[in-house]
Amino acid sequence: MENLVLSKEKLPEMLTEIASKYALFGPIEENGFTSFKHINNSQEINLDYLLTRISPKSLIFQQTETLFTFNKGKEVKVNTPKTDEAKRVIFGIRPCDARGYSILDPVFEGKKEGDYKDPFYTKKRNRSTLIGLSCNKPDLNCFCTSFDDSPASAKNVDILFTDIGEKYFVDIVTEKGKELIENLSKLFSKASEENREVREKVEQDAINAITRHMNTEGVVKKLDKMFNHDLWQKTAMRCVGCGICTFLCPTCHCFDMQDEAILKEGARIRVWDSCMYPEYTMHASGHNPRPARMNRVRNRIYHKFSYFPKNDKIFACTGCGRCIDYCPVNIDIIDIIAKVKEAKT
Amino acid sequence: MVDLKNLIEITKKIISREDVKYIVGYKKGTYGFQIMPAFAYTPEDAEEFIYSPLCSKNLAVYTILEEKLPLKRGEEEDKRKIGVVVKGCDSRAVVQIIQEKGLKREDLVLIGIPCRGVIEPKKIEKMFPNQTDLIEVIENDNSEYIINIGGKTHKVPKNELLSDVCKSCEFPNPPLYDVLLGEEVEITETEEFSKINELDEKPTEDKWEYWKEHFERCIRCYACREACPLCYCKECMADTLNPQWIRRSVNLSENTAWNIMRAYHLAGRCISCGECERVCPVNIPLMELNKKIERDVKKMFDYTSGLDEEEKPLFGMFKPDDPEDFIL
Repeated sequence: MENLVLSKEKLPEMLTEIASKYALFGPIEENGFTSFKHINNSQEINLDYLLTRISPKSLIFQQTETLFTFNKGKEVKVNTPKTDEAKRVIFGIRPCDARGYSILDPVFEGKKEGDYKDPFYTKKRNRSTLIGLSCNKPDLNCFCTSFDDSPASAKNVDILFTDIGEKYFVDIVTEKGKELIENLSKLFSKASEENREVREKVEQDAINAITRHMNTEGVVKKLDKMFNHDLWQKTAMRCVGCGICTFLCPTCHCFDMQDEAILKEGARIRVWDSCMYPEYTMHASGHNPRPARMNRVRNRIYHKFSYFPKNDKIFACTGCGRCIDYCPVNIDIIDIIAKVKEAKT
Repeated sequence: MVDLKNLIEITKKIISREDVKYIVGYKKGTYGFQIMPAFAYTPEDAEEFIYSPLCSKNLAVYTILEEKLPLKRGEEEDKRKIGVVVKGCDSRAVVQIIQEKGLKREDLVLIGIPCRGVIEPKKIEKMFPNQTDLIEVIENDNSEYIINIGGKTHKVPKNELLSDVCKSCEFPNPPLYDVLLGEEVEITETEEFSKINELDEKPTEDKWEYWKEHFERCIRCYACREACPLCYCKECMADTLNPQWIRRSVNLSENTAWNIMRAYHLAGRCISCGECERVCPVNIPLMELNKKIERDVKKMFDYTSGLDEEEKPLFGMFKPDDPEDFIL
């Protein structure tokens, strides 16, 4: 791993250079919160943000995706939509959100040779270079360290920027990252030992600033014995059944497919769905295997902390804390896992 | 001011009754300023109940969230009553649902709270960010909130943290209750629609620009619908597939259809608790839509929702002198 430093004044120049060759995405503040948007002017970027309201999964796994278009009539033609082939750079993504992509990869890209690869996800994912930004000041509900991760983790990004005061400390992690930086090398200088020490201190301070922790040890096995525990009913009593937790989550990935047509033309679209809605599991027969909120609340926890680790050896939670921050009724996933640990079975 | 002892005593007494299944109230949340809805099945559970200016959530929603699942063989339906702690607007929501025959009065026990307004969670979290420890807030007689954080006491003028809907609330006292905790509060506010009137006077293009920006970012999580005590249709028009009134695609056109249709379905029904706007994860000012319709309904039909459970809902009545100049 190569280490460089970039002076903060040179950041706009770097971004402008990148934007001239790539489609650049970065955090922009609008209407009181930050989201990842296409950047035309590097001045628009807001780096004071901690987490975007909606996770950047929306850049790769779009909320609405047109799978194909068709026309109605005697001669039916099916057309694949033209995909945007531009190479992308996602600048300023937080380590936890980048980890979210790594968690989604086995779902959409498969795990072994011959597994189905979702072309929409795979194309966007492969075309994207991730420039991560370490968190100097984690938020109240941040708990990434509970998943062997760190606010300055370079594991899931191509390049990682860490704010060390006047400069950014730059970890070049992958070949893809190296390639991106190659033409911009004039802007960077070699990192000194002192810079590295500051970076390490920044990381350690950020780790120490994380106040909430989730103890996941043994949770997978424990959940095997808790399917009928009254914790689920108790928690579900206050759940109102909205989709905030699943829509803001960087790892939730359920979707619905629909044909939407006007007169002679139509499209098959794929759109985010949520297991918190009764309609999500409704069968055509009218039977619903998850008829109550209890079943649905339980499913959300089991999917993240039982089924997913069993299938993919990783918890489907990054510790970003969005579901805790925005739940209208204080359903707190850290609290739920603590209760799972305590529960008598 | 709500006497906590009194609240717990009364809750205990009610939950001890054989005809009451559970009571919905508030208890401390898991961190900071969080409060969570609490369900008391036994007198011991009632010990956890609290009430403070942080209790913004409209609990009337839990009367309609009660799930009636198919009964197992030999199982009998539990017909006991549900108890709910209600503020002014929460009680109005219950009244409105009863008017619409969505609930029966005899199925409910209402513990009324004369409300002095609630704190907007977003505002207090912005003023005192990153609070891990649970924090209590009390209101003094000088219209100030007393907030104790880590041994330091902060006094904040009420107006700075008060929920916007509370600022012009004409009905802080519950119109319907079985027990009222404490004295009714004096009504000092009058409903005012200055913000709506201002927006209304703008040219159509400007209004569209304004709403376009808001609707564009709607993620259709339906939190507005689920948190609303008056959105209780068995099947929402947003979920029907045949006919499909609103497409599932998330784009400006469909998002606009969703938000406007929801606002219209609440015409003459919305009781201005502000829950939809409070829960919206992308800050859409939904109450501006509801308030506009509330103002128009008041002007045209001299009608206010959720005040008398014997009255008919707006769309269930007709007067010969109803205005009809909006009919083309």
